[in-house]
Amino acid sequence: MSYQNISFEIRDDLVWIGFGLNEKKSMTTFTRETLLDLKDAILKVVDLDKKKGAKGLIFFSHKPGVFLAGVDVTVINGLKTEAEALRALDESHLIFNAVEDLKMSTVALVDGVCLGGGLELALACKKIFVSDSPKTMLGLPEVKLGVLPGFGGTYRLPRKVGLPPALDMILTGKQVRNKAALKMGLAEVMLPSERMKELAPEYLLNRKTGKKKTLKEELQNAAIENFLTRRIIFQKAREKVMETTKGFYPSPLKILEVLERAASKNRTDALALEAEAFAELSQSVQSKNLQHLFFLDDQTKKLPNKDQIPSVRRGAVLGAGVMGGGIAWLFAQNNQAPVMKDLTAAALELGLKQASQNFSSALRKRRMSEDEFNRKMRSIEPTLNFDPFKSVDLVVEAVVENMEVKKKVLSELEGHVKKDCILTSNTSSLSVQEMSKSLADSSRFAGLHFFNPVNKMPLVEIITHENVSQDVINTLYKWVLDVKKTPIVVKDGPGFLVNRILAPYLNEAGYLLEEGVTPEALDNAALNFGMPMGPCRLMDEIGIDVCVKVGKIMEEGLGERAHASSLALKLYDAKLLGKKNGKGFYLYDEKGKVTGKNPEISKLLPSKKVHKDEMMLQMRLFLPMVNEAAYIFADKIVDKASTVDVGMIFGTGFPPFRGGLLRWADQEGLDQIAERLNNFARDVNKDRYHIAPFLTMMIHDKKKFYDL
Amino acid sequence: MKPVYLVDGKRTPQAKAGGELKEIAAPYLGHYLIRHIVDKYALPSDAIDEVIVGNTGTPAKYPNIGRVIALEAGLHKKTSGYSVHRNCASGMEALSQAFVKIGSGRSDLIFAGGVENMTQMPLMFNKQMTEFFMELMKAKSPVQKLKIFATFRPHFMAPIIAVEQGLTDPFCGKNMGQTAETLARELGISRREQDEFANLSHHKAANATKDGKFRDEILPITAGDKLDKMIADDLGFRANSTAEGLGKLKPYFERETGTVTVGNACPLTDGGSMWLLASEEAVKKYNLDPMARMVDYHFHGLEPERMGLGPVVATHGVLKRAGMKLDQMDLFEYNEAFAAQIIGCMKVMKDKNLSSKWGIDEVIGEIPLERLNVNGGGIALGHPVGSTGSRLVVTLAHELKRRRQKYGIASLCIGGGQGGAVIIENLKV
Repeated sequence: MSYQNISFEIRDDLVWIGFGLNEKKSMTTFTRETLLDLKDAILKVVDLDKKKGAKGLIFFSHKPGVFLAGVDVTVINGLKTEAEALRALDESHLIFNAVEDLKMSTVALVDGVCLGGGLELALACKKIFVSDSPKTMLGLPEVKLGVLPGFGGTYRLPRKVGLPPALDMILTGKQVRNKAALKMGLAEVMLPSERMKELAPEYLLNRKTGKKKTLKEELQNAAIENFLTRRIIFQKAREKVMETTKGFYPSPLKILEVLERAASKNRTDALALEAEAFAELSQSVQSKNLQHLFFLDDQTKKLPNKDQIPSVRRGAVLGAGVMGGGIAWLFAQNNQAPVMKDLTAAALELGLKQASQNFSSALRKRRMSEDEFNRKMRSIEPTLNFDPFKSVDLVVEAVVENMEVKKKVLSELEGHVKKDCILTSNTSSLSVQEMSKSLADSSRFAGLHFFNPVNKMPLVEIITHENVSQDVINTLYKWVLDVKKTPIVVKDGPGFLVNRILAPYLNEAGYLLEEGVTPEALDNAALNFGMPMGPCRLMDEIGIDVCVKVGKIMEEGLGERAHASSLALKLYDAKLLGKKNGKGFYLYDEKGKVTGKNPEISKLLPSKKVHKDEMMLQMRLFLPMVNEAAYIFADKIVDKASTVDVGMIFGTGFPPFRGGLLRWADQEGLDQIAERLNNFARDVNKDRYHIAPFLTMMIHDKKKFYDL
Repeated sequence: MKPVYLVDGKRTPQAKAGGELKEIAAPYLGHYLIRHIVDKYALPSDAIDEVIVGNTGTPAKYPNIGRVIALEAGLHKKTSGYSVHRNCASGMEALSQAFVKIGSGRSDLIFAGGVENMTQMPLMFNKQMTEFFMELMKAKSPVQKLKIFATFRPHFMAPIIAVEQGLTDPFCGKNMGQTAETLARELGISRREQDEFANLSHHKAANATKDGKFRDEILPITAGDKLDKMIADDLGFRANSTAEGLGKLKPYFERETGTVTVGNACPLTDGGSMWLLASEEAVKKYNLDPMARMVDYHFHGLEPERMGLGPVVATHGVLKRAGMKLDQMDLFEYNEAFAAQIIGCMKVMKDKNLSSKWGIDEVIGEIPLERLNVNGGGIALGHPVGSTGSRLVVTLAHELKRRRQKYGIASLCIGGGQGGAVIIENLKV
């Protein structure tokens, strides 16, 4: 018997079905074709089962490191209507139910990644065996795409592991490792990866497997099985979801609804509920946007000829401030034993402190052992001289944001490193082109803009200039991926990409405050749009002094439309610098937590308050960003809308469910946006809202950002 | 023998046991020194043939600390590593083995040195307690277990202190302090003499630190609970000590009539030191610029109860091997285990009658005080046992370089009745 996408074999009374046959992609996924093959194969097994022609069915993978990574997202993305989605699910339910109803023993040998539909298939088996490989991970990540598990995951998982752990996995999409899977009763036994297939028949047919429930677990289960406790669990879960998603994401709420309603239903009804919900969610705009984001992210991670691009093995950081310490942490975290240089021991200790802090939460949550902490922290070599620089492949300069200082430091650095060492500057606003002039060989130099805090912010902007070599950019791109960050390549220019688009947002916030809008109203408007924090909170976070400085650079570089509001300067003069000195728009405690509004602010704001419609506030904040993005294309800072959206989502937390700034703009309609801009240009300010010629041209050509 | 080069040597700051370095596991007192030197000379990680590390209080977790250090330092997995133990001279033993291996043409690049975390030397269960545990583990039924529990006596809990036991000679039964008392008595070394010597050591160390003389040899180490502190200087010496103040301390080893106090003896210390040694070929191949050449070494035994005179016999031996005279030496770096012990050595070396007791039929020579331990010695800086043997050579080479002087000798006494000595030639004259 032979199929294109799966293997099918009967050996010693056992049916073996293998996935990942001839798979060229790094991950095996469920495609339509695989499902068709599987359906046919399962029908044969059902037949055998009736004739008692086999003792067991074993699912396994031919591909090392992956069992099944779920349904291919292009399949979900290709579902054009709810009806189409329902039809596709019906098919699969048939297969999965048939597996579940087999009389013979059934098992999935999970050796590697097992996600989404992969786990749902495994759940339809009587047993799951996991391998001891560190790659073995099980999870239902559908929520991250704005949908829910559609192959019976919401029905089978709670029945296998109990309600609370199932809720946790389905609502957060988190993945569990082999040992955790055993502990929670998801897997029956752990086998050595290399001998899994050899041992499986014995364990499937002859050995007792599975964990005995302790008395405590029995009691817990008994407690959960009661109607009232269930209601409390769902109530709590709903509150938690509302707290984290603020209601912007429909899928977690739908998941709760489905699980709650299906609890007392039989399989047919429960699966019908799940399918209905899946079909509905799959067509929601949020899910489409999240799928869009998935593809953006996927695309960002692809680098052609990756194997031929050299890897950075060792790094160095110049300047041990908050950023320097954070970048040293990043090197150390990824086993690239960095050197960290500064001028004084006290400065170096600040950098060590930053790195240590970044490790502390992993240490506290036991994701890292004391030994590992020791090794990684000690892999950072603090130094006052350039002695150890001869061995490093990449230097990130992170000294103060001052062109003269940076140039001096870079030019000095050049004499202490090997010829092919890549030199970079972590700057948020200074011209990389100008900096490159300080070097004898500027082809190995680029900007590398990290966002603060380095351990939490995923984005890194790689900034090019006229002389930089493409090899250097490729190596940097690969390195950023290697240290598990998201790279985008942008051309030099004021504020590069992210800060340039963010600047009009923050600047406009200043003008709105001066018009009499309260900081709370403004921040709430942004929060209700889905931003992680409002502009006032963000300015506090960045530091008012930095805002003033960057504002000046923007105005110099971009002209009248970036004319800086005077508000930031007023705060700066009043020494309200934001989180860094404990007071800005808000007050902060030593740990940096907001403790309340800052009463001093009201003195700097107009006493007469105006109330503006929230939608109006949102448009005033976000439209200038779209407008600036159009200038960015005109200036050829980037050439793809997706780059802007990756930058905005991973660099500023622009709401993922909106799919990015430009996807949002495209969905709103560019002519709509132009009309509003024109209105603001008339009513508010002709320079700041003057529509970008590039945008007018796009509208004239009937183009969207994603058509560029 | 082919020439053997001392390319670069670094050490940790030293701190009294229980002090600032107490939390640092022994491998981390060495790995970063190697990493730094490898980085500084841009050596490929697989260029190093071997790592040899002296260590005496072998931590249970790291039975072969030399190999652990090689791996932690990021050297290639094929670089072999082992540990050596010659008591107080373990670090010097490591250097000597590297010397022989490179000198004979077997190896080209070797890291040799020593580490010791004396704070982390364990308290051990005594024999009765160990037996109690073993019986308990053998017991099957609860009744049997209960029976064995009933045999427990409180004195089972009395621990064996590894440091204390390690510092007592198993052959003659004397502890190291008592051997120093013996020398003081037999050679007529007064309490005042000892205290003045100790006081001088503290002041030399304090001044050297203040003047930044250790900057080149000490590599700052990351320390503290959260590993966010850097320690760059030695922490043991007392800048404000006086001979009078030291005179007030009670004798430690012979309470009533003794002269050796904690003030005129070296403290228990944590620290590490490391050298990169190279053959002529390696120097050329990797374009190295060695600080010094290792001329020769010598180890020599004597009676354990007078182990403090080890440097006398070792110095005599190494000079003979090298065909040199004591007065050719520009600097002397001799470990100060006890003031009585080092004063004793100087007395014997310049006295033919005394020397003859150890089979030496000539005057070795007189060590000029102003050329001995010019930056302070073990009394002030401490004595991390596994490291000191190579630490002396690190300090000696750096000071010779600074002074642009040619020859130096490092020597120390070894618990168990031995002495070790090394002669080096500074190439940066």
